[in-house]
Amino acid sequence: MSSESSKKRKPKVIRSDGAPAEGKRNRSDTEQEGKYYSEEAEVDLRDPGRDYELYKYTCQELQRLMAEIQDLKSRGGKDVAIEIEERRIQSCVHFMTLKKLNRLAHIRLKKGRDQTHEAKQKVDAYHLQLQNLLYEVMHLQKEITKCLEFKSKHEEIDLVSLEEFYKEAPPDISKAEVTMGDPHQQTLARLDWELEQRKRLAEKYRECLSNKEKILKEIEVKKEYLSSLQPRLNSIMQASLPVQEYLFMPFDQAHKQYETARHLPPPLYVLFVQATAYGQACDKTLSVAIEGSVDEAKALFKPPEDSQDDESDSDAEEEQTTRRRPTLGVQLDDKRKEMLKRHPLSVMLDLKCKDDSVLHLTFYYLMNLNIMTVKAKVTTAMELITPISAGDLLSPDSVLSCLYPGDHGKKTPNPANQYQFDKVGILTLSDYVLELGHPYLWVQKLGGLHFPKEQPQQTVIADHSLSASHMETTMKLLKTRVQSRLALHKQFASLEHGIVPVTSDCQYLFPAKVVSRLVKWVTVAHEDYMELHFTKDIVDAGLAGDTNLYYMALIERGTAKLQAAVVLNPGYSSIPPVFQLCLNWKGEKTNSNDDNIRAMEGEVNVCYKELCGPWPSHQLLTNQLQRLCVLLDVYLETESHDDSVEGPKEFPQEKMCLRLFRGPSRMKPFKYNHPQGFFSHR
Amino acid sequence: MERAVPLAVPLGQTEVFQALQRLHMTIFSQSVSPCGKFLAAGNNYGQIAIFSLSSALSSEAKEESKKPVVTFQAHDGPVYSMVSTDRHLLSAGDGEVKAWLWAEMLKKGCKELWRRQPPYRTSLEVPEINALLLVPKNSLILAGGDCQLHTMDLETGTFTRVLRGHTDYIHCLALRERSPEVLSGGEDGAVRLWDLRTAKEVQTIEVYKHEECSRPHNGRWIGCLATDSDWMVCGGGPALTLWHLRSSTPTTIFPIRAPQKHVTFYQDLILSAGQGRCVNQWQLSGELKAQVPGSSPGLLSLSLNQQPAAPECKVLTAAGNSCRVDVFTNLGYRAFSLSF
Repeated sequence: MSSESSKKRKPKVIRSDGAPAEGKRNRSDTEQEGKYYSEEAEVDLRDPGRDYELYKYTCQELQRLMAEIQDLKSRGGKDVAIEIEERRIQSCVHFMTLKKLNRLAHIRLKKGRDQTHEAKQKVDAYHLQLQNLLYEVMHLQKEITKCLEFKSKHEEIDLVSLEEFYKEAPPDISKAEVTMGDPHQQTLARLDWELEQRKRLAEKYRECLSNKEKILKEIEVKKEYLSSLQPRLNSIMQASLPVQEYLFMPFDQAHKQYETARHLPPPLYVLFVQATAYGQACDKTLSVAIEGSVDEAKALFKPPEDSQDDESDSDAEEEQTTRRRPTLGVQLDDKRKEMLKRHPLSVMLDLKCKDDSVLHLTFYYLMNLNIMTVKAKVTTAMELITPISAGDLLSPDSVLSCLYPGDHGKKTPNPANQYQFDKVGILTLSDYVLELGHPYLWVQKLGGLHFPKEQPQQTVIADHSLSASHMETTMKLLKTRVQSRLALHKQFASLEHGIVPVTSDCQYLFPAKVVSRLVKWVTVAHEDYMELHFTKDIVDAGLAGDTNLYYMALIERGTAKLQAAVVLNPGYSSIPPVFQLCLNWKGEKTNSNDDNIRAMEGEVNVCYKELCGPWPSHQLLTNQLQRLCVLLDVYLETESHDDSVEGPKEFPQEKMCLRLFRGPSRMKPFKYNHPQGFFSHR
Repeated sequence: MERAVPLAVPLGQTEVFQALQRLHMTIFSQSVSPCGKFLAAGNNYGQIAIFSLSSALSSEAKEESKKPVVTFQAHDGPVYSMVSTDRHLLSAGDGEVKAWLWAEMLKKGCKELWRRQPPYRTSLEVPEINALLLVPKNSLILAGGDCQLHTMDLETGTFTRVLRGHTDYIHCLALRERSPEVLSGGEDGAVRLWDLRTAKEVQTIEVYKHEECSRPHNGRWIGCLATDSDWMVCGGGPALTLWHLRSSTPTTIFPIRAPQKHVTFYQDLILSAGQGRCVNQWQLSGELKAQVPGSSPGLLSLSLNQQPAAPECKVLTAAGNSCRVDVFTNLGYRAFSLSF
């Protein structure tokens, strides 16, 4: 038995009260446990360090004892066994100590563990609490943000502005006193008002829908009524045909024309409409007609299915018979023909002039080039015998040249055409102008086509207002042109016979007796005119272009021969003919070496307005020629006599002149004064 | 022979008429402004054009500088002669002389200051005034179609004297400063000298009667005169001749066939121009120093800008049978032409 444990038991006396409660409890606990041995309590009392020392001491003793036993065993003997037994008993005691120590160690360990465990449990519990709380905090925060972000559906509705709301809403909804202060109430009131309004509008909408339905029904009824009217009207028209013919009012004919007109391409249509309108409104001498095949025009718009089939067939053919492939030239020719193709329909305008001569104009439309061309023909009431020099006057090629200044009709007015021409190798349209007609600018304008030079447009469309604004001027110009050409025609016939035909109302411009005579009147080619030595000034001034007509007149008196080269502008008679003179008499005198020749040219070129005669001034050319004869007379008669040369003057002075010379250039008196009949200076 | 052909511009009625007018224009007279920077030119349509010499001669001159600054209709008939005083331009043509203020003329719509008509004898035809001459003591002499010289006082505008003597109309006048005498040349072939103080004819030279200079096939008319006190040069129908006035003898005959219409002394040369393109420069001995061609086929007037106020515009200008005024900056060649 352990002495220590017994020691421990014995002093344990049941204490009576007097000790503090806890201590008592402790003591009672220990006491209760003291009934039986409590090693747990003993652990608390012992010092672990001392126990460790004890352990070490015990191990040492044990080792000593073992060693002694060993010694004794090895020595042997009789009393050894008692010593060994003694030592064995001591070792057993030590073993007991060791066991106790071991038990104590274990108990200590267990206690420590338990304490740790407890503490750990506490910590875990706190930790868990903390986590819970944190989680809850987060949750609450999320909820708060959700609440804060909450957008009520009512904010998506566009409400009327505050001022409007207070203005419009009836007071029982707006409740100004309440809502002004309280934004929540205000919003509620506004929503109320919004609802009110929407309800009202929905009502209105339903009403309007029903109205619309009603009206649609009415329209249907009326449409039916009208469609039933159409066949009745047709029958009336049919019935009225005989009446129309009886009264010479060919509405039907006009109607048929309008039917055909529907198939015209837009520029020709514009021309047709505007010309008919002009003819009816202003000018009864203009008549308009459409020529050509309507079927072909309709065929243009058929989808090209047939041609596609043809193409594939021809491809197949080509593969088989390579010899039959057309040459490049023929292909190009076909392409050119295709490019220059005319629309099958054309518009014919007939302008009748006072003397029963008619100008026939046929207008064509070139589809791929989007331009219009015109062919002209002049027919007269009586057969005209054309004098040799008048060949070009009425020729269809040039009769309409330069109707407006510079409009020579040899170039295409559409700048886009140049690219098309390059593709098929056409240099210029002037090669084809004879068969296609002239693309004058005024023709394009009459068709409403405008090709602006600065900004080339993609597509040029026909414009009615452009055509209308040019119609009257152009028709008037055309008439004037035909009449002036016909007048010239007649005059040329007379000029070729050496007679200058001066009409009676222009007789006052000239003296009664004119001795110089016109002996020759011929046409001259443009190049020949340019080569003459006395025409250089006119050429340099740019007045001798290739659209003009050139003539040469020869006036003679005695030995004096006056050559006059005449430039006739197509715009005669608003643009005067220009004369250049060369006098052969005692040497050659032209405007470069004789001031008086220059003055004579000035008399006919610059002072032409006096010679125009009564409108429409067709007498200008003949008056100018007559004046030249008079001027030559004056020149020759007033030439001062050279005293050194013998013989009388070739031309005695017959004209009455106040003075023979005047001014620093010593001009002759070229101005004729009517009715006094004398000559003076300007 | 191929000639470069100018492009024929599409010409309407007005453009053709203007081109014809310019082709037949003749510039008869020129006058330089007192400041020397402007040149006035008068033509046969009665228009006066003012050109700015200073801008045409400047280094930045463009084509527009060669056109007139202003053109206006001055007279009904041709403007045959013009002179400039220190403030006015006097122009005369069909019987009237008009005065214009140089300072006002550059503005458009300028009106004449005054116009006067000398007392003519005939009323059937108004005679032209071919020559104007400024003489000392502020007087103007006019001469022309009525064969008389009229003197007009510029301050009062009255016609003071009439000098008669010519039998045919008068072409040109010149002033002999020393005496003072006025020389006049006319269609009758005579050069007459008049004394201004006594208003009488003091000397007559009938040029055509001298065989060396007369050319009967051209006529006997004297078209131009210039005098250098002792000497006089005259031309026209007869040959261009230099005369010694005191002895009335021809000293040098200049060998040019074309009748001369304007002649003037310049430094030690004589410049003349007439039928034919050139301005001729002669030595006093009769040798032709230079012939400078101009742009007009015939020249009627020469003007030397010797105004001291504008030495940079010192040029010779020549005008005649065209609408152009040739400008010669040095006498050797034609620099450029101004044009109406």
